[in-house]
Amino acid sequence: MQRVLITGAAGWTGGHLARRLEEDVDLEILGVDDREPKVQFDSHFEQLPLDRLTLAQYVLDVEPNIVFHLHSVHPRSVQGQSKDAEERIVGSLALFGALERLKTVQKVIVKSDTAFYGASARNPSVLSESARPHGSPSRYERNLREMEQFIGDTAGRYPNMSVTVLRFAPIFGPSVGNPISMFLQMRAVPTMLGFDPRMQFIHETDAVSALVHAGNVGVPGTFNVAPEGQIFLSRVLRLGRRVAQPLPSKLFDKALTMLQRANIVIPDDLRGLLKFGRVTNTSAMANTFGFTPAFSQRGIALDVYGRNPETMA
Amino acid sequence: MTAQDLSSLTKKQLIVLARERNIAGRSTMSKAQLVEALSSTEQDVNRPDPAPDAFAGINIPGISPSDRAQAREKRDALYSRLSSFVDTEVHCAWRSSDGHPCGLPVTVGSPTCGLHGDGTTFDCAIPLTGQLGFSAWPRLLRQLSLATYDTDIFGLDPVIAEMVWHVVNMLYFDYFRVDVEGIENIPMEGGAVLVANHGAAALPYDGAMLGLSVMNEAEIPRRVRVIGTEIFNMLPGVSHLYRKAGGAYAAREDARELLARGHLLGVFPEGERGFMKPVWDAYKVGRLGRGGFADLAQEASVPIIPVAIVGSEEVHPTVMVSKRLAMLVKLVFPEQRLDAVAIALNPVPLPIRWRIRFLPPVEPTAPGHELDSLDQLELAENVRVTIQTALDDILSTRRTAF
Repeated sequence: MQRVLITGAAGWTGGHLARRLEEDVDLEILGVDDREPKVQFDSHFEQLPLDRLTLAQYVLDVEPNIVFHLHSVHPRSVQGQSKDAEERIVGSLALFGALERLKTVQKVIVKSDTAFYGASARNPSVLSESARPHGSPSRYERNLREMEQFIGDTAGRYPNMSVTVLRFAPIFGPSVGNPISMFLQMRAVPTMLGFDPRMQFIHETDAVSALVHAGNVGVPGTFNVAPEGQIFLSRVLRLGRRVAQPLPSKLFDKALTMLQRANIVIPDDLRGLLKFGRVTNTSAMANTFGFTPAFSQRGIALDVYGRNPETMA
Repeated sequence: MTAQDLSSLTKKQLIVLARERNIAGRSTMSKAQLVEALSSTEQDVNRPDPAPDAFAGINIPGISPSDRAQAREKRDALYSRLSSFVDTEVHCAWRSSDGHPCGLPVTVGSPTCGLHGDGTTFDCAIPLTGQLGFSAWPRLLRQLSLATYDTDIFGLDPVIAEMVWHVVNMLYFDYFRVDVEGIENIPMEGGAVLVANHGAAALPYDGAMLGLSVMNEAEIPRRVRVIGTEIFNMLPGVSHLYRKAGGAYAAREDARELLARGHLLGVFPEGERGFMKPVWDAYKVGRLGRGGFADLAQEASVPIIPVAIVGSEEVHPTVMVSKRLAMLVKLVFPEQRLDAVAIALNPVPLPIRWRIRFLPPVEPTAPGHELDSLDQLELAENVRVTIQTALDDILSTRRTAF
């Protein structure tokens, strides 16, 4: 019987990961988060303040064998709303502090984001894991870098613990309900006039599958997780029969601010993404990590907008 | 029309016909001569036109009618050669899930059209409908809106690239009248680094012409993936069109990735300095950057093909290089590294006759190994001298720039 701890289990990905892992009877699943769960699952769920020592204490109590660390950067800092500088990655600090003391942990899977690379005109067209980020980072991007740096250092000290850092492309799906998915599923989507970013998404179910796969194989290292290739934003909207409304950058910003009233909060890093786009090299994922997403870039768009599968207009 | 039918027409109508068929000296001919000339060209007219030229009747200042006729001939030859790459009898095997066919003709030797292959075919720029020209655009636009194909990882969209190809061909054939030598130096498959002298001020015509010269003249129309500075990623409108037409960003990672995928890489290592050469320094090739291309070619074990381009440095003769204007540009694009801006006299490019010479490839000396920085600079210098010699040679033999 192996004990699995999921931090950030209240989110869509965490909840679905718990559900998927429940299919395996050999696993005992424990979920923690500081919010009410979005997705209901049968396993034990504990609501804890994740930025305090309580998390460390909890981890020391339950002694997990596998840890899925989805709460690597505080969601509030994703939205750029966190005022407290400490709050952002303190969950990660607490968790890894506890893990260092425990010797039972075999695999740690950390959810990161390709926002790590930022979005800049100076980024190479295809970003591999070793790429140096360019441009001035948004707050979220800085947090990601700090977090990964810290986790990399910790992993270096404990070679027995396999740490897999998965940099997910923006998760896009019909039910995930994250800002980018909500934004792109609107009837008319504001776009930046004169820009058609090269995007890369990962389907919500593929994101969960990648985490499950990481739990099974435990390959240490950092991997970009996305289907191979790229898709232009205009093409996503065309496949979804959404109306693209190009706006000059000032008006575009205004439109994003107005969207906050509709509860679609587009953080700074997504604004950059909608201008310059971001495409990563996924060969390490396919070869070393050994994971192949089920949906292609175009498949994702077709699925999200319910155009199943390849049809002619 | 027979000679009898022709002679029943008025002289004015005959002259209109003669203009359509591009008969030289029609305005000075008598009616009988016109009838004779027209009936002798009858055969040619009955031949189906591979792609009607929408701009045939438009007079371009600075371009002589004989040049236009020659351009048209070249263009027709290209169109008929390209059409032999597709089999219009057979339709693409691709079917949508509800059973609709793709409708495009297959490329010869494959069961699918250029769009629905395995994606590796994007290196080869065979026209999707078998013809270039505005007549193909309705079908291309349909493919564009259906979006049933994938784009290349750098953002190449073969449909848009083909439309751009056709439009820029007007510059290539009718305006710049590009002459190409040594096209046999371009490998038919696998990667290579094309290193050319840079200088176009105002607009990067030379990148486009370099790409087109390989697509139009080489035995197999291959794409040259030209890499450019970050300004191409920043300019609204340009940023995505440039990608869709096959460009990439001039970063080492991009170049390496392109070569690893076996593409032809087009680089202008002179960069900004070459771009902003004043007209009195035209065709004096400057230092080729840090010679990074030499290292890249060595690493990927591909040949370096020096390219001498005559014409690009005169289309917008730079008369002044302004630092103040650069500061203004920086206000708009704060991320752009820019020291000076070139100012040209003419807003419209001059109708210069271009010559592009592909020089014999420089094979990598020790494939797979990294060059030390001195070797790298030495190799870059050799390439620079080769290009300079070729430029001097072309310049000494040409009588006029136009």
